[in-house]
Amino acid sequence: MKLGFRSKIYLGFFSLLLIQGLVIFLWVSQVMKDSMLEEIKNRGVSIGVSLSARMVEPMLAMDFLRMKVLVDETVQLDNGIFYTFVLDEKGNPLIHTFKHGFPVELKTANTVQDGQKGSMQLLDTGDQLIFDYAVPVIINDNRLGTLRLGLFQTQAEKMVNKIMFTTIVTIIFAILMAGIVGTLLLKPVTKSIKKLHDSSEQALRGDLDVRTAPMLKKNCWDIMQCSQKECPAYENQCHRCWYMAGTLCTSCVEGEYAKRIDSCQQCQVYKQCSGDEIQSLAESFDAMTLSLKGNLSDLKTAESILNEQKALLQTILDAIPDFISLQDNEGCYVSVNRAFCEMLNKNKEEIIGKANGDLFSKTLAEMFNKEDKSILETRIPLVKENRVPGLKGLKWLHVVKIPVLETKNYVKGLVCSGRDITKLKAVQEQLTQSQKMESVGRLAAGVAHEINTPLGIILGYAQLLLEDVEKDGQMYEDVATIAKQTKLCSKIVADLLNFSRSSQKNITKFNINEAIKEVLSMVEHTFSLNHVIVKHEYDKNPLLMQGDKEKLKQVFINLLNNAFDAIKENGSIFINSGFGKTQSEIKISISDTGCGISKDNIKKIFEPFYTTKGPDQGTGLGLSVTFGIIKEHNGTINVYSPPLSGKKEGNGTQFIVVLPTGLNMKKGELNG
Amino acid sequence: MKYGWVFLLCFLLFSGCGENESAIKVDLTEREQVILKEEHGVITYAYLPQYSHTISHFRHHSLIQYLRKETGLNIKQIFPDTFDEHMKMVGQEKIDISYSNPFIYIKIAHRYGAKAFARIVEMTGKDKFRGQIICRADNSSIKNIYDCRNKRWIAVDSTSAGGYLYPLGHFIDHGITKKDFKEIAFAPGPGGKQEKVVLSVYAGKYDIGTIREGTLDVVSDKININKIKVVSMSNPYPGWVYAARKNLDKKIVEKLNQAFRKLDFNNKEHREILEAASFIKVINSVDKDFDPVRQLAERVGMSLEE
Repeated sequence: MKLGFRSKIYLGFFSLLLIQGLVIFLWVSQVMKDSMLEEIKNRGVSIGVSLSARMVEPMLAMDFLRMKVLVDETVQLDNGIFYTFVLDEKGNPLIHTFKHGFPVELKTANTVQDGQKGSMQLLDTGDQLIFDYAVPVIINDNRLGTLRLGLFQTQAEKMVNKIMFTTIVTIIFAILMAGIVGTLLLKPVTKSIKKLHDSSEQALRGDLDVRTAPMLKKNCWDIMQCSQKECPAYENQCHRCWYMAGTLCTSCVEGEYAKRIDSCQQCQVYKQCSGDEIQSLAESFDAMTLSLKGNLSDLKTAESILNEQKALLQTILDAIPDFISLQDNEGCYVSVNRAFCEMLNKNKEEIIGKANGDLFSKTLAEMFNKEDKSILETRIPLVKENRVPGLKGLKWLHVVKIPVLETKNYVKGLVCSGRDITKLKAVQEQLTQSQKMESVGRLAAGVAHEINTPLGIILGYAQLLLEDVEKDGQMYEDVATIAKQTKLCSKIVADLLNFSRSSQKNITKFNINEAIKEVLSMVEHTFSLNHVIVKHEYDKNPLLMQGDKEKLKQVFINLLNNAFDAIKENGSIFINSGFGKTQSEIKISISDTGCGISKDNIKKIFEPFYTTKGPDQGTGLGLSVTFGIIKEHNGTINVYSPPLSGKKEGNGTQFIVVLPTGLNMKKGELNG
Repeated sequence: MKYGWVFLLCFLLFSGCGENESAIKVDLTEREQVILKEEHGVITYAYLPQYSHTISHFRHHSLIQYLRKETGLNIKQIFPDTFDEHMKMVGQEKIDISYSNPFIYIKIAHRYGAKAFARIVEMTGKDKFRGQIICRADNSSIKNIYDCRNKRWIAVDSTSAGGYLYPLGHFIDHGITKKDFKEIAFAPGPGGKQEKVVLSVYAGKYDIGTIREGTLDVVSDKININKIKVVSMSNPYPGWVYAARKNLDKKIVEKLNQAFRKLDFNNKEHREILEAASFIKVINSVDKDFDPVRQLAERVGMSLEE
């Protein structure tokens, strides 16, 4: 069974009193007994010395009557005195109080030497114990004899026992009184402590509206004759004014309890109203809970604001496409954003608290750890581009790592920010390629321009020779070959010039359908010879646009030739034209039922000089020129193999060209 | 820790228990009757109890020791309580050597045939002494001996020389008789009578008192003697006297006389003895030396038989 505080106090209190009582009884009573016996012994000596002094004159006068009177009076003085007698200087009895003769053995039972004040000896008569005192009778340093006095020890013991009995009764009475008084004093204390305990439990349960201290009997507004109703202490009977902040008394110091208590202790209100320690404890507890309640309210508000700010910050961080992470100085991740989670394909809980070794491959983790360690030690930020494996293949990341300094000399951790620059890298590569191609184009244009004239001369002279030589002869064939190859060279030169965009532009407004029809009229016959049928489906409305009609016709020729080359024979070419998503753009689709383009090749078909045809069949510049013309017109060209139309007639290829009508543009605004 | 508590408790419980004192066994049944055995060959020496026995003992104890040594006699001082007892014991031959004032001496000489053989020389260097009439110093009604009329008078004893006989003669010489006093009283009780007279006057119980010369010095440790004034002093008469009882062996008297004559105040040991006895010398004396006292007694009408 567990004892309560009150029971423990009572138990301890009474145990203490009991032990104290026992100690007092056993120790003090023994001391008292000893001192009582000592007192009795001293009393014997004292009586003896006194009687001895009074005995001098009768002894000198040998006045036996006076001596007898003195010894008899002494014995009658007290029931505790058994006998008195006087011995002369030779030890013979002169006078005594025994009725039937003098006991012989008593003469020598106790002696006192000259110079001694007295001597005490315990005698056992068989019936009882006697304290025998021997005191010398002296006059002018001459010893006349010895006075002997006998006191009953039993009488002394009776007195001691009486004292001990009185002591016991007194101690018991004292214990009872102490117990009663202690109980009366303890009751309000334990009651207050219990109330304090209940209040603290109530506060722990979250209810801070506790009332522990008793109601105030004297009020500050009465003592100070105050009428300031706006004062927080005014008519507040639950809390003392010195525990409150913001009281309006002129003598009050502003601020919280700690700042003002010294001043308050000098105030009349404090002097009249402050209670004992228990009451002060209860009042301060009430004030503490009141203060705690206010602080908790402020804390909740602050927490709410903090949470909002945190959520906002997290939202911002998560909204940022770049990944961001914060690591402590041990390398463990403390905070990450959504992009970081997505990059690692893990949720936040799986990342927080982990180190690089837990999240990345061994090689990468070692590299990152090395970087992190260097940054933490040198405090120099790191900016670099990493190539890391991603979910969709290798990724290029632009990474910035910055040390977080808590103080001048202490690095708390590091922030890592990274961005996926894979696409940017690809564009950079394309740009580099484009620049390279542009340089090549310019070079080719220059070369073509210079070669074009000699080629024309060669072709002219070759054609003149063909007219001059016999058609059946070897010479004719050779010259014809020269002329043919020269034409081919001219075409290459023309293509190069087109590719290099160096050819002149002739911008007009025209119907794209007309341009397609013109091209078809040129090639349809040739295609039909190889059983390649061209099917077309034009928009009913004229598809007017602003552009270089001849160059666009060249585009369609190139695309149709490529389709024909892919079919070779027995196939179909489908041409569709119409408006795109809006009326401001025209969409032309050319698809074939040819062999199609492999995935590897499809990426390279727009690159110059890339061809899958034989050496005499293609220059590798057709689609590059096509791409350039379309770009020149701010349009787009996409290739799909197999086609998007879903016709499962072989593999086939579909080119979709989207061109802005450019009708709202002024003449000459075309790209280039 | 708990053993500490147990130890403490045991210490407290048992530390107060002491051992009983050892007792000597005595048999009270064996009894005897107390009978004083008379000591033979003892020369008894008594000092007239004008003071307490203690003072008498103090004054003459060393002297007796000296006499015992010098004479080889077994001299023992005894202490009669009153002047009358002293005189009777001389008559009963219980006192062999009496040291008394001259008035007592003329009485024991007259009554019991005692004979003077020596007398003392006072500390003043005189072989005579006087009686003094005293009163309180603040008693303005008594300025001279004539102012003593109708006053209450306390004297030492009717047998006292310095304390009664000499002052009475002095009063009569000045025309003042016993009847002129309002009251004449004597100091009560045995012994210490000189002191009692001074104390009675000091306390204001009596207006005047009569004492022998030198008494005020004796009581100086008891009262402030400046509060007492001496009104008048009697004529000087022979001092204290050593007398031998009737029939005492003359050889003993001679031995004592020789021993007395050897006392020399210049001798350190003797001086201590003499100072304790309050005289400086003992000189030979004969009965005739005390005739002036006998004449005084006769003149004041005091009978030697009373």
